[in-house]
Amino acid sequence: MSVSNVTATSINRSERITLLRFIGLYSFLVLMILILGSTIYFKLQKDLMLQTKRLELEEYSKELIDGLKLLHIYFDRYRTYPRNSLYRSAIYDADHVQIFSTLKHPEGVKLDKVIYTTDGVIQYIHVLDSYYLGTKYTVVEIDDDGKWFQDTWRNILLYGGVLLFIFMAAGVVLMRLFLSPMREAIHLLDRFIKDTTHELNTPVSAILSNIEMIDPKSLDPKTAKKIRRIEIGARTISTIYQDLTYLVLDHQILSENRQIDLSSLLKERIEYFRILSESKKLTFETDIQPEVKLYIDQNKMARLIDNLLSNAIKYNRRGGTIYVTLRPGEMVVKDTGIGMDEKETKEVFERYKRFENGVGGFGIGLSIVAMIANEYNLDVEIRSKKGHGSEVFVRWGV
Amino acid sequence: MGRLTVTILLITIPLFSADVNIYERNCVKCHEKLPVSLDKFFFNYLLKYSSERQVKQALRKYLKHPKRKSSLATEEIILRYGLMPKSTLSDAELREAIEIYWEKYKVFGKIE
Repeated sequence: MSVSNVTATSINRSERITLLRFIGLYSFLVLMILILGSTIYFKLQKDLMLQTKRLELEEYSKELIDGLKLLHIYFDRYRTYPRNSLYRSAIYDADHVQIFSTLKHPEGVKLDKVIYTTDGVIQYIHVLDSYYLGTKYTVVEIDDDGKWFQDTWRNILLYGGVLLFIFMAAGVVLMRLFLSPMREAIHLLDRFIKDTTHELNTPVSAILSNIEMIDPKSLDPKTAKKIRRIEIGARTISTIYQDLTYLVLDHQILSENRQIDLSSLLKERIEYFRILSESKKLTFETDIQPEVKLYIDQNKMARLIDNLLSNAIKYNRRGGTIYVTLRPGEMVVKDTGIGMDEKETKEVFERYKRFENGVGGFGIGLSIVAMIANEYNLDVEIRSKKGHGSEVFVRWGV
Repeated sequence: MGRLTVTILLITIPLFSADVNIYERNCVKCHEKLPVSLDKFFFNYLLKYSSERQVKQALRKYLKHPKRKSSLATEEIILRYGLMPKSTLSDAELREAIEIYWEKYKVFGKIE
């Protein structure tokens, strides 16, 4: 069997979600940095443009003030406002009341500012020391051709795009760099589990087949008891082996789906587990309707049943009962054990989740149940009450 | 001819009396004697106080309590004619006179 298959080193779903979250967070931070940088760049470009225009506007403002001065002195002789085709202007008194205006947008004037852009124009405010004609504020306005705006946006998009590409490429490289040791560790662990699983098969099968060959009647009671304990242990290992085989190897093996006799399979699996249940003095109460059929891979269904029965044994109280019911479209396994609260019931299908460390297992049982149920569209429902036991319903369409 | 003269006189007398308002009676009457006209003073007030509210406020304050420090007349004028006497008008009359003065010389709506 090949154990170096890299595809087998697949990162499980939760790890994939973690990676996606990392990529999402990284992309979000990169975007935030780029937006912040772009905003600063945009503001700087705007300030630069306004500083350049300010010199020009200051000259126009001086010219306007000179004209106002003359108009103030000779107001009794002529009353023509000083105009220039290069700019538009307005004058305001100390109470911000407009005295006269040739502005394109006189309504949006911000007398508390010095220079700003609004509605496609640049407006420059100058505060006078001597109020000619009562003018405290002169506003000089020129058209904003928007060239700086287009240039700035083009640069932001161009350089921003290049930076985004570089950041994302760096992110991918960094991610691969950081993930490399983790991937190697997973790969190593995966290989180890596969090799170990493979190697388990032969000794476990040897133990079980040899135990079966021993005639208990030929043994004295003490030895028979010891042999029975060995058998329980071997069967437990065998169940774990089956689970591991399913998890690490089964997704590479094609399913052999067919119409199976679920009733017989369930009875067979109960018999298999009966010996394990005896160690806790558990009783099986079964209500299995004969000839219940299901279209499924027999091995996978056996894994599903085994895990439900195994849990019912593991989490049951000593001397408890396991109720197994089978009807067309529904299978129920109920125990009289420790049970779970609502939060635990919700998390029960997560891999490696165990709520009772005093019992054996890896916490992969119900995860396997969920995987198989998901593959065959089986509906699994768990009803549990702390201290009263759990009831697992497996339903399918008939 | 004599009848026509009488008719014109009868018509113009009420008109003239209407023109002689509180501003004319109390401000123009004295300032006519000064070499600096009232409109120059108005533009001096505009130059210093800018807005309608502030100009009116400054005028009212000065007319109630004329002081050399707050006067906008030149030193020469003050030396020659002295500071104007404190206004005897009531507050309402003073406001009315200042209002007429503002309306007469304000620049709003007059710039072309």
